[in-house]
Amino acid sequence: MSKNRGGMPARPPCALVALGMTNALGANPEEIWPRLLAGDQSRFSLRDDLVPGRRLLVGEVVGPLPALPGRLRHYACRNNALALAALLQMESELNVVLRAIPRERIGVVVGTSTSGVGDAEAAIRHRRRTSKLSPSFTYAQLEFGGIAGFVADWLEVRGPAFTLSTACSSGARALATARSLLALGVCDAVIAGAADSLCGLTAGGFSALQAIAEGVSNPCSVNRKGLTLGEGGALFLVVREAGGVQLEGVGESSEAHHISAPDPSGAGAEAAMGEALADAGLPPSAISYLNLHGTGTPQNDQMECEAVARTFGKQLPCSSTKSLVGHTLGAAGAMEAGFCWLMLQHRSQEHLPLIPHCWDGQRDPKLPELHLTDKGEEVSVRGDCHVMSNSFGFGGNNCALVLGVEPRMEFQPGFDS
Amino acid sequence: MLNARLLRWAAWAPGLETLESWHAWARDPVPIVAEGQPEARFLPPLLRRRCTPLTRIMLTAAFACCAEKERGEVRSVFASRHGSINESIEMLEAIAEEKPLSPAKFSHTVHNAQAGLFSIAANNRRASSSLAAQEDTFGCGYLEALAHLEREPARPVLLVMGDVPLAETFAHLIDEPPASYALALLLAATDSGAPVAEDEMLAFEWRTGDVIAPKPWPAALEFLRWWLIGAESELALGLRRCRWVWQRPFNPDYS
Repeated sequence: MSKNRGGMPARPPCALVALGMTNALGANPEEIWPRLLAGDQSRFSLRDDLVPGRRLLVGEVVGPLPALPGRLRHYACRNNALALAALLQMESELNVVLRAIPRERIGVVVGTSTSGVGDAEAAIRHRRRTSKLSPSFTYAQLEFGGIAGFVADWLEVRGPAFTLSTACSSGARALATARSLLALGVCDAVIAGAADSLCGLTAGGFSALQAIAEGVSNPCSVNRKGLTLGEGGALFLVVREAGGVQLEGVGESSEAHHISAPDPSGAGAEAAMGEALADAGLPPSAISYLNLHGTGTPQNDQMECEAVARTFGKQLPCSSTKSLVGHTLGAAGAMEAGFCWLMLQHRSQEHLPLIPHCWDGQRDPKLPELHLTDKGEEVSVRGDCHVMSNSFGFGGNNCALVLGVEPRMEFQPGFDS
Repeated sequence: MLNARLLRWAAWAPGLETLESWHAWARDPVPIVAEGQPEARFLPPLLRRRCTPLTRIMLTAAFACCAEKERGEVRSVFASRHGSINESIEMLEAIAEEKPLSPAKFSHTVHNAQAGLFSIAANNRRASSSLAAQEDTFGCGYLEALAHLEREPARPVLLVMGDVPLAETFAHLIDEPPASYALALLLAATDSGAPVAEDEMLAFEWRTGDVIAPKPWPAALEFLRWWLIGAESELALGLRRCRWVWQRPFNPDYS
């Protein structure tokens, strides 16, 4: 798997050996995968408590979330409960790693854009009523670094633990850093991914920006009206091993354009996709599927479709999964890498099942005519198989990831269990 | 250990605005002043008006640390424990009062606001990340900068660590000396082909062990003090789960 990087030392392999995930489509990948494939848009909820005077359709995680253990109650907030739900799904793989690898060699890199800000809202409301913050509120629930601290303390690991927060590219960036920590040799395993939770601040903020659609987001349609918010958690166990699903390429760029709007030319998105291909050592034709950032705002659709058409032409199968789970903001990059991971896991000898692009089918004639996937669509693959996922964030922060599998996959964890 | 070259540094805190004043502070350190912000006249007026105190402080250190040519070409890492949280808290107060939110203010509450504004002001289109790690933010920021050097060894990385005091609403919840400051370090890989001077070498690792008692000034400035005085070959910092250790000069045995 090691590739020559233009005279630079070859990078060791980077395997994503386990995934824990929760979002509006389900409590775990077993529930989520068939609903993704079926294009199930029935699982959005209506909330009237997020933005005053407005009823919002959101991709909410319904059902109970695990409670944090008492020793970690200072971290107790919805955001960390979403992360814990993902962690618990990987418990058996994590236990193997915790037994085999010294605690100081295990790192934690987590993305979030909200942290526990929803719980801080409640604490501040409490203070308005009583002149004191709610007694259970701690700063560790609100500060961005809290989620990484929580994951590290829950696992009782002593390697580096930090939160990357670059708005909607946070989750993708966490995987990029995990790969670097393994390549630098400073960690032998990294828990990496992201969680983000619905809250009044982001709902009110995006509502004030007039970026939220009334119904479900409708990416690439002439009728699109903006994004639909979502929440969830997606965490991976990442190790320096060959085999399985590999993180093969990372491409990053900044826009140098505007704090909350992308460069309409798509130059930043194009640079990130191009760099990810170069980093993976692959030509554009080697990519079998692209998970679009696909927020469903006119600004994103315009620049992303242009950039995709310039990078790949119009034949590459593409879809946005945000019209299925909502835009999970800081978690989206990890969530959508997770969808790509599930897709690669379900690859047969000759076919890769594709997640459908769910929309009203009314193309915007101003956009390049990309190949947007239909329900039940597959693509034939022989040999290696590679897919890409795009994430673009406020502040003009872009990150594209390439994930891939070798032919004749055998999905064994990359270490002796 | 992980080696890097520290090509240049710059820092800003109220009353500490020149290299000479930082050298004097390093010899005779005092707690950093809590409040204050630079004028940041290098920023276009429209952008400057929108900047929070933290943004002005971090961008002042960032611009001072890079030559004009480098500014648009470096990768960047912005590390801050609190970031724009004070602006988020203002918005939370507005939510509690059911007041409408300002879209422009909301855009500036993302943790990468300083990184995004640096990209715009410096016309920099390179990779950039923003992070937080509670009391360990500086050490983790340094490690994230090394992660960027791993991804692209030929391109220097600008690390900017800065904070301002947490808003009164939550300040009593943490134990931290209130300070407004930023430290910028321009770091480069040792294997990028350029000749390496011994006095710019810096090695880094972490170890397990007891936490180290905090100083009355931020960890990033304790690092600067150690670097400027140059009397000790090793610095250990670390308030949480591990000790961050820096060493100089470069020991070839570690490469």
